[in-house]
Amino acid sequence: MIVAGRSDGEGVRLVLETEEAMLLSELADQVDSVLLLGEVDDPALGRLLPSAYPEDHAASQEFERYTRDSLVDGKRQAAQRVRDATASHEGERVVQIELDESEAWGWLTFLTDLRLILAERVGVIEEGDTESDETRDDYLRAAYEWAGFVQGSMLEVLDPISS
Amino acid sequence: MTSTLEELDLDTTTRVAADVPWQTVVWDDPVNLMTYVSYVFRSYFGFPRAEAERLMLCVHTEGRAIVATGNREAMERHVEAMHGYGLQATVSRAEP
Repeated sequence: MIVAGRSDGEGVRLVLETEEAMLLSELADQVDSVLLLGEVDDPALGRLLPSAYPEDHAASQEFERYTRDSLVDGKRQAAQRVRDATASHEGERVVQIELDESEAWGWLTFLTDLRLILAERVGVIEEGDTESDETRDDYLRAAYEWAGFVQGSMLEVLDPISS
Repeated sequence: MTSTLEELDLDTTTRVAADVPWQTVVWDDPVNLMTYVSYVFRSYFGFPRAEAERLMLCVHTEGRAIVATGNREAMERHVEAMHGYGLQATVSRAEP
């Protein structure tokens, strides 16, 4: 994975190994599925769509009624764009993706949503929790770290001074 | 981004004294990168870099930061936007 600036200065250029692109496409598809099919009590959905009024159930529900659909739409669109940009590059050794600043925001928010879901699934929050399926956890943890690396690298290009 | 700041100023200056203002609170989340939170604050609220960094560090060290104050509708718009970015944000009544 290479993350670099674009020649015209705006946005970011990504070069992914084919395997990385396939992994990202698969993860993006899973994020889309969580948003589309997620059960109401799925804690991962709770991380993506937290309560605006944790101490006021009625206000919280009212807020959710007005905002949920457009938030879900926006997050699904971001995930779908990443999925489509990284999908089906069989036969090519690397996948090159150019993003302008607005497209890069879609990737940044997608990577955040992905990490929130992975953190919930692997239990980053519940330290000391002994998960029996260690292989699955290792895979999720590696994906979590990698998504953070990609996001951090993109921010170094998009926002150089703070990094 | 500029329009958001202007609305915010208007909300603050035209508020009558009897109105209790509301707040947008962003909460710490071990998942989000500090550079990301700071970049969101700058891009969305239009904060200067130093202010965005201060608020981000406040979230990180204090567990929360008040990033905006104003009328309830404006705060709900901000919280919706923060949720869009994947940040944990809530609306609350400002302390009198």
